[in-house]
Order: sequence, then C-alpha cells, then structure tokens
Amino acid sequence: MKRYFKDIFQSIWTVLQGMKITGLHLFTRSCTLQYPSVKWELPERSRMRLFNKIEDCIGCGQCVRACPVDCIYMTTEKRNKEEPPIFAADGTPIKLRVTQFDIDMSLCCYCNLCTYPCPTHCLVMTPEYEFAVQAKQDFLYRFAKDEPQAPPKPAPSPRPAGAR
Amino acid sequence: MQVEAYAGEEMVLNMGPQHPSTHGVLRLELETDGEIVRNVIPHIGYLHRCFEKHAENIDYPGVIPFCDRMDYIASMNNSLGYALAVEKLMGLEVNERVKTLRVLMAELNRIASHLLSIGTYAMDIGSFTPFLHCFREREKVLDLFEWLCGARLLYNYNWVGGVSHDIPEGFEAKTREFMTQFEPVIAEMDKLLSYNKIFLERTADVGIISEEQALSHNVTGPNLRGSGIAWDLRKEEPYCGYETYEFEVPVGLGEHGPLGSCWDRYYVRIREMEQSLGLIRQALDRLPEGDVHEHIPRRVRPAKSEVYDRTETPRGELGYYLVSDGGLIPFRVKVKSPCFTVLSLLPAIAKGGMVADIIAIIGSIDIVMGEIDR
Ligand code: SF4
Ligand code: SF4
Repeated sequence: MKRYFKDIFQSIWTVLQGMKITGLHLFTRSCTLQYPSVKWELPERSRMRLFNKIEDCIGCGQCVRACPVDCIYMTTEKRNKEEPPIFAADGTPIKLRVTQFDIDMSLCCYCNLCTYPCPTHCLVMTPEYEFAVQAKQDFLYRFAKDEPQAPPKPAPSPRPAGAR
Repeated sequence: MQVEAYAGEEMVLNMGPQHPSTHGVLRLELETDGEIVRNVIPHIGYLHRCFEKHAENIDYPGVIPFCDRMDYIASMNNSLGYALAVEKLMGLEVNERVKTLRVLMAELNRIASHLLSIGTYAMDIGSFTPFLHCFREREKVLDLFEWLCGARLLYNYNWVGGVSHDIPEGFEAKTREFMTQFEPVIAEMDKLLSYNKIFLERTADVGIISEEQALSHNVTGPNLRGSGIAWDLRKEEPYCGYETYEFEVPVGLGEHGPLGSCWDRYYVRIREMEQSLGLIRQALDRLPEGDVHEHIPRRVRPAKSEVYDRTETPRGELGYYLVSDGGLIPFRVKVKSPCFTVLSLLPAIAKGGMVADIIAIIGSIDIVMGEIDR
C-alpha cells in the first residue's frame, strides 16, 4: 500500500519536473518557420535540382557513365568539319552535337556523382527545391537545344541484361 | 509481475507492417493469450531493395549512394564502412585530414542517430515532449551536414580514398557552438525522460537481454553494451585513427532493475552521445591540414582479392564482405547488419511479456528496417 502511494507521488513529481522544463521553453525563441511564406536560406552546396548549361556541354558522356541509376539519357552526333568551330566557356572545343540530354529527376537519387567528373563543370546541382509537378513525365527535364542533322541511325540493338 | 492474471483467449495478432512504432515496415505475428505474448514471429523483407544485387552491377564508387540508403538514419557511418572496406581491398592509405574528418562526421552522425532513436523511443512509450526536443537538436546536426555536403540525410560523403567536400569556412566554429548548446540538453533529457517514474516503470524491468543471450545471438553496439559487455569496435579494432582519441565505452549498469533492460540500452545511448561530443572536440582540436581529394583514385579497380571489414555504427557492428574479380564492378558485396542479428533475439526476450512491452522492446533495440531488408 505504501509503495502504491509512493509510486503515484514519484510519478507526479517527475512529471512536474518535466513540465517545468517544458514550461521554460515557452520563453525561448521559436525554432520553426512558417514555411510557404518564409523560407530557409539553403547553403550553396545544396543538392537539389540538376541543371545543365548545355552550351558548355561537350557530350563526353562521363556523367552518363557515373550515374548509378542510369537516369541521364544522352545522344550525340558528330559535328561537320565545315561547321564553324565552337568552344565551351573554359575553351574546350565542342566536337559533338548534343541532340538529346534528358534527366529524369523522378529517378534521380540526388547523389551528385554525375557532376564531379564533368570536365567543363556545366552539369551542376542547384539549390532549387520547389519543383513539384502534376504529372510524372514532367520530371523529365530536357536540356538539349540542337536538332539532329544527320539522318537517324538504325536503333542500336538492346544491351544484354546486366551490361553497363 | 503476475502476468498470468491477464491471460484469456488465445489469438493471433498481426502487428504491422504499417505500425507507428515498428520503425519501418516490420510485421510481427503475435500469438497472444489475453494480454500475454506467447510467441513473436518477426516477418521481414518489406523494404527489400536488392542492395547486394545492385552492388554487383555498379562500379565501386556508385555503390556508396546505395550504402547510404541502407541505414538512412546513420548514412555517414554506413558509407564509411564501405569506403574503408574498398580502401583495404586496394591497399589505399588516406591522409590524416581525411581520417579526422571521417571521425568528426561519423560522431556527429552518431549523435543525430541516437537523438532520433531516443526521441522516437520516448514517443513510443507515450511521452511526446522529448521527441520534439530531440528532433530540434537533430535538425541542427542535419543543418551542419547540409552545409557541409549539400544533403541532409543521404550524404554520399565518404568516398573511396577521401571525402567529397572539405569543410566550409566557419564550420568548425559552428560545430563548437552546437556542442556548447547541446551539452545542457543531454542533462535536460535526464530530467525530462530518463528518471521519469512512468518511463522507468515501462522500461526498467522489461526486455532483459542477459549476457549469454547477447553473446550467443551476436548482438552488437549499444544493445550489447546495455547488457554490461564493454565491446566497441572503435576500441577493439580501431579504424580511422580511433586509437589516438580518448573516450570511454559506456555500459549498462543495471541501476534500475536488472542488467540488460530496455532502460539500460536507452541510457547507454544517452551516455554515448556525451562520448561522441568528446570525440568531436578532439577531432576539431587536431584537424590537420591536407587535401581531402589527394588519394581519390581515378579508377577504382582493386586486384583480385576479398576482404571483410567492420565498423561500429550507431546500431552496432556493420560488416562489409567484398569480393573483387579485378574488374571495375564488385563481384560480390555482402553486408552483415547489426539490426538483423538483434531482431533475431526479439522472440526470445518478448515471450511471456505483455503486448505493450513489445513496443518498449522494439524501440529499445533501435532497429532500422532499411538495413535489415537492404
Ligand atoms: S545526381 Fe546521381 S542519380 Fe541524379 S543524375 Fe546525377 S548521378 Fe544520376
Ligand atoms: S560530363 Fe558534362 S560535358 Fe560531359 S556529357 Fe555530361 S554534362 Fe556534358
């Protein structure tokens, strides 16, 4: 019987101690934010949406090879010798015309592995995080601007399963 | 306790897979007799993502994002284990700065992970306030990580031969600031939760893992130390230069109720956070100069060999068994998961208890289903 009342007393006492801490927190600054009207400042290294500055892309395909989930789709074709030479911002000559550069952001796992090997640093992750869309196919971001000029090649035979 | 008084009709009860306190998608088949649990059969596999099969199809650095996703609460520690295993396979030695940064991040991550585990445990037991306190603090660690590498949860930070980013300017001061304000929070936690009578009643006499049971089931991490065995890989098999740091290995003492109870395991985590703070402070103090990308190989192509390497994650001993056939893609990656082994012990410790105790036990062994199912 004595134990019973002691337990009750201890419960109330320890709960009150906890309440005291909670009560003191009423007077501290709030640490939440009213999100849509106020926004966090994201640090510059934030890894959100991918962006490719396609003018600088030389079509080397390093990013495609690095991606562990294969969500970058790229097709290129050789530029003609007669066409005027163009260069990326860092001076690398662009020998390939990138006719398709699609990134499926719904498959992307935001691992950032594709941006490191990029020789011209044109593929970057931006701190842009509000890009919800209504339909899933809208997550396919198309960056390429050039139209293919050579007649399309016959489709390559599908890769054997498991090959990369 | 006279549990027999609560016996009644026998029934098979499915707890989960969608249950707020199963910490992921775990289904428990309970054979109950009134309020008493006669048998527990855990059913796992709901979160299976073919990690090991995936790893056989991606090059070595590409596996790291998948490692992060196993135990998504302690990603830094998961990728660290993999990176160390591949480095061992290649015979690669990294510089001191990388080692120190790895220790720093692993310990920060350990604090974040323990905070989540403690917070959700308190909520499972029915006390909501500590959960908010823990999440508020965890948020600060995640902010540090976001500043460091751009991601809040799945960092892809530990690479083979280095780390992805050096710390940004001002990171050190900010971390110290975090530590000064975090230290009182641990003491606050004691008042708020640890010695709360109701919490003690729910945990201190429940889910006893005896020393023999723990050893025979290969329980590791805080769960093992809660049973009073001071085994920590950071001490026994140091990696990343842990042998040069000063820290203690907290063990359960059985202060309230028998040794190896849920409360002991919970309290080991609280005290481990204090040790982690000490480790972070030492790492910050010594942080040597160096280039974090110095030893990153252009191509990760280990010679034909195999290796088993294990590290101490917040949940226990995480082992990677790697087999290389000399190519760019691992031939086999096998993971030894700490949560899996401790879940195998659940039937043994939950049998004969009450249904409500199952919640207390699952919370206290701190499992993450992502790592069990992989
Ligand atoms: S961030 Fe990772 S998953 Fe996304 S496109 Fe780049 S490599 Fe692929
Ligand atoms: S690595 Fe960079 S330059 Fe090469 S294809 Fe990808 S985006 Fe273009």
